[in-house]
Amino acid sequence: MNHQTRVYENVFEMMPDEDNPTPLVRVNRLNPNADFPLYAKLEWMNPFGSVKDRAAWFLLRDLEERGELSDGRGLVEPTSGNTGISLAGMARARGHHMLAIVPNKVPFEKKVLLKIAGADLDIVSDELCPAPGLGDGSINLAKTYAKAQGHKYVMPNQYENPKNVEAHLKTTGPEIWKQTGGRVTHLFTSLGTCGTVTGIGQYLREKNPKIKIIAVQPTEGHDVPGLRNVSQLSVSRLFDPSLVDEILEIDFNHAYTRALELCQNEGLIAGPSSGLILEGALQIAARDKSGFGVMIFPDNIFKYTSNMIKHIPELKPQDAKVEIP
Amino acid sequence: MTQYAHPEILVDTDWVKQNLGKPGIKLVEVDVDTKAYDAGHIRGSVGFNWQSQLQDQVRRDIISKQEFEKLMSDAGVSPSDTVILYGDNNNWFASYAFWLFKMYGHKDVRLMNGGRVKWLNESDKELTTEPTKITPTQYRASDPDLSLRALLPEVLKVQAEKRHNLVDVRSPDEYSGKVIAPPGMTETAQRGGHIPGAKSIPWSTAANADGTFKSADELRKIYLEDKGVDAKKDTIAYCRIGERSSHTWVVLKYLLGLSNVKNYDGSWTEYGSIVGAPIEK
Repeated sequence: MNHQTRVYENVFEMMPDEDNPTPLVRVNRLNPNADFPLYAKLEWMNPFGSVKDRAAWFLLRDLEERGELSDGRGLVEPTSGNTGISLAGMARARGHHMLAIVPNKVPFEKKVLLKIAGADLDIVSDELCPAPGLGDGSINLAKTYAKAQGHKYVMPNQYENPKNVEAHLKTTGPEIWKQTGGRVTHLFTSLGTCGTVTGIGQYLREKNPKIKIIAVQPTEGHDVPGLRNVSQLSVSRLFDPSLVDEILEIDFNHAYTRALELCQNEGLIAGPSSGLILEGALQIAARDKSGFGVMIFPDNIFKYTSNMIKHIPELKPQDAKVEIP
Repeated sequence: MTQYAHPEILVDTDWVKQNLGKPGIKLVEVDVDTKAYDAGHIRGSVGFNWQSQLQDQVRRDIISKQEFEKLMSDAGVSPSDTVILYGDNNNWFASYAFWLFKMYGHKDVRLMNGGRVKWLNESDKELTTEPTKITPTQYRASDPDLSLRALLPEVLKVQAEKRHNLVDVRSPDEYSGKVIAPPGMTETAQRGGHIPGAKSIPWSTAANADGTFKSADELRKIYLEDKGVDAKKDTIAYCRIGERSSHTWVVLKYLLGLSNVKNYDGSWTEYGSIVGAPIEK
């Protein structure tokens, strides 16, 4: 393994840490405030294309080390896409099978990608008319597989497993601190399983208790894949409100318009959740006047062409004869 | 603290665990997600598919008396059995099946309070994929008890007379007409809104976070005091296709003990498509 020449013996040697961080790139044209630079942490530069590589790698290695994946036992996990792609890709590369329980609202491209990554899919209809506190149908179905067919499946459970937090405590947090030379004053991230915000938050708070941890969430009724509104957070046990200074609620349409602006003005091929985070960061930069912001950009735009067309119809090619799924 | 009017229709998960495999007790799982039973079920239970087994496959209707008898016979249920129903989504379709069992006169049918999610989240409860061994029976049902079911002509009459409680148990967005059905649902209607005079009391207001029913005192306060359901009047509950309203029907009839409560299983998919039927938004 050589990070200088970038020659690796297998894909797992590329996994990020302090010595091999994902890039931090400044946003220039979209941020007019010179006293508040905003840097995007490009998590799509991870081997399987998203921030979820970090949690997936920690979850998988933990299961392997504890002998949970012997005798042909594989993984079952509820996933909105990225965790599944990372877990499936990694699991298959290490000889394990994986069943992904996927909510039907997950974009078409992600479902195909999960299959390409090597996952078997079970698609469930979620959010019919949800009751508070009961959790998603996909989580319950995954738990059912793990409970009834324990000889075949083990469930990493990204929503409850502390390894998800540890991944960010041991990699993302130290990377940000080292890359910014300790200058970071604001961290902007989204909420999903909350492993990212809790892990980075714990690390940065310990380094500098004054750092502001700001979570950005889409307005209720949103369709931004992978994100949760606070009303949906009860499914995650990893959310620690004491580590979050503010939760900004941002109109979810910004996720799509800002993602397009990032691509067309900054050369950053960022996905919708990154767009939402940028909008939140720009609002805080305008309010707080000076600072040094780091934004976690979870993945790139390539999985979201159908979502983008839905929100920005002029992206639809003129010769598109059929409805894009 | 007051008791439910009919506490005997509920059993808890511990009771089910203690009584697994006992003669005369039959477990039946009915889920919204028809794949859930195959992924894992309580040992000894049979699974009913609400789409293919609990409704007529040609016209829009509940299954006939003969079909119900065949379903029971094939599932090894006898009329004298205690049937315990459970399912996902807070027992939506388990409640629908409960209503169907009552319609066809099964004497002792009960719901497992909290449904399959509560069982799933309790560490001492097991699930299995082992098929259940069934000894078929010759089940004979009663003629359907139509006092438990509202059909369209009655609903139209009731909304015109305004002397009944009409309870709309759908989500606030369905009630207001903002959406016609929850996202992704194939059974829908031509128009959004609600039956004029219906009170909006979403089914989930009756449920605790763990999926169990709220206490009698809480239910009494919600339905009778806060929402103004008049216990002296006859009541009709409806939703979109009659499954969520079955949940509320159980609450009103068996937990609160209202005397005349009907489930309108045609619900909004029927009412919202009738030419000329009055709608409020």
